[in-house]
Amino acid sequence: MNGNALISVTDLKKYYKGDKIKALDGVSAEINKGEVVVVIGPSGSGKSTFLRCLNLLEVPTGGQILFNGVDITDPKTNIDLHRQKMGMVFQHFNLFPHMTVLGNMTFAPVKLKLMTKPEAEKQAMELLKRVGLEDRANAFPAQLSGGQKQRIAIVRALCMNPDVMLFDEPTSALDPEMVGEVLDVMRELAHDGMTMVVVTHEMGFAREVGSRVIFMDGGKIVEENTPAEIFDHPQSDRLQSFLAKVL
Amino acid sequence: MDWAQLYASYKSQVVGGAQLSFSQDFFLKFYQAFVDGDRWKLYLRGVGTTIEVTFFALLLGVLLGVLVAVVRTTHDQQRLGVRSNVGLNILNVIAKIYTTVIRGTPMMVQLLIMGFVIFKNSRDFTMVGALTLGINSGAYVAEIVRSGLMSVDPGQMEAGRSLGLSYSAVMRSVIIPQAFKNILPALGNEFITLFKDTSLITIIGGKELVYAAQAVGAKTYAVMFPYLGTALIYLVLVLLLTWLQTKLERRLRADER
Repeated sequence: MNGNALISVTDLKKYYKGDKIKALDGVSAEINKGEVVVVIGPSGSGKSTFLRCLNLLEVPTGGQILFNGVDITDPKTNIDLHRQKMGMVFQHFNLFPHMTVLGNMTFAPVKLKLMTKPEAEKQAMELLKRVGLEDRANAFPAQLSGGQKQRIAIVRALCMNPDVMLFDEPTSALDPEMVGEVLDVMRELAHDGMTMVVVTHEMGFAREVGSRVIFMDGGKIVEENTPAEIFDHPQSDRLQSFLAKVL
Repeated sequence: MDWAQLYASYKSQVVGGAQLSFSQDFFLKFYQAFVDGDRWKLYLRGVGTTIEVTFFALLLGVLLGVLVAVVRTTHDQQRLGVRSNVGLNILNVIAKIYTTVIRGTPMMVQLLIMGFVIFKNSRDFTMVGALTLGINSGAYVAEIVRSGLMSVDPGQMEAGRSLGLSYSAVMRSVIIPQAFKNILPALGNEFITLFKDTSLITIIGGKELVYAAQAVGAKTYAVMFPYLGTALIYLVLVLLLTWLQTKLERRLRADER
């Protein structure tokens, strides 16, 4: 096992309905600091389940997840503390509709007493400036476009100063012309050295930004390599046929 | 000649066997039902009690309802097979029995049981009535609140939890405010029903509005005006409640668009 691993997953299993449906069937992986790991695969391959297991939104049936060296699958671990250090961005944004943009961003840090309200607001405004949305600070989510919502969702997660960011198909619910603005933010984030795990169908992004690509199918990791190797020299038949369809 | 003298003269004419015109008869009965012997004070006190009972029943109903709804939703949302919470399971069973029994028996029967069996030695009929109504309303409020909590997108809970907040913190600051907005129409409807149902406590001796009307009717042997008047008072108060509800709904929606 690599000592530098930020997240270390061993033999992760997630079964539904007894063991009839095996969404994850023994997945092992390591995510190192500063890495951008892109997870690709056909729908139903278990890639979203894998990501959601990493911060225990799905409780695994078996296996182990070490985050910063702590076994978060242990029922005695206080998962809330570790989730504070794992930002998550969802396909459907999941902004809080009854709060303003600023309220969305400052809610968790203030509620958890990690920052005072002025501190949190100052940080939030700086982050908003970074994604070019400082003029929307007092808008409600319903007043934003899809691309704007997702950018807000990203900076909301960043407000917690996470060690890793998990992206669950962040551009799948967007109009095509808004995908770019969200990917730009993610690209910039990667360049700044953020550790990221990204489940996506954006193969261009995976090739350009990813430091490693994981291809999943049937609840298992089929192939794992650098983007160049994955896209230019796919080894398995399954990956070859998948890439033939999506590229 | 003032109203009281006019009333006295009509009354003596009737006693003497004379036929009154329609308007004279209307005046006589109206005066007799609402003014003579300061009877309007009886209605006023009745309305006061009605509002008081509604208020206490509402408070108790909302308290019980939210409690039961949160227990039921938390129980239903806990992950299957993971750390099954025994205490929560017991609470859930109690909550289920409560809603089943209350919703499965008529309010009138509940009042009779509470008034004449459980609290048969109590003289405070009004408070027994308010307690019964509150317990009754709680079961309905619980189902309304539960539907509201379940109507909020599960993604909201996930987003809150993924930021490191506890279940109860997300429930309080994210889920309940949104659910409240969604259930306001149904809740308003339940409050209006509760307000009108306070009239039932008359049967266990609660001295609210209907009790006043019945007392006047028994004394004057004329029930039409007391009952019509009572109906009108309820109607006006319900209209007022509806108006308040509409205003509140509009205000809550305003901040989102």
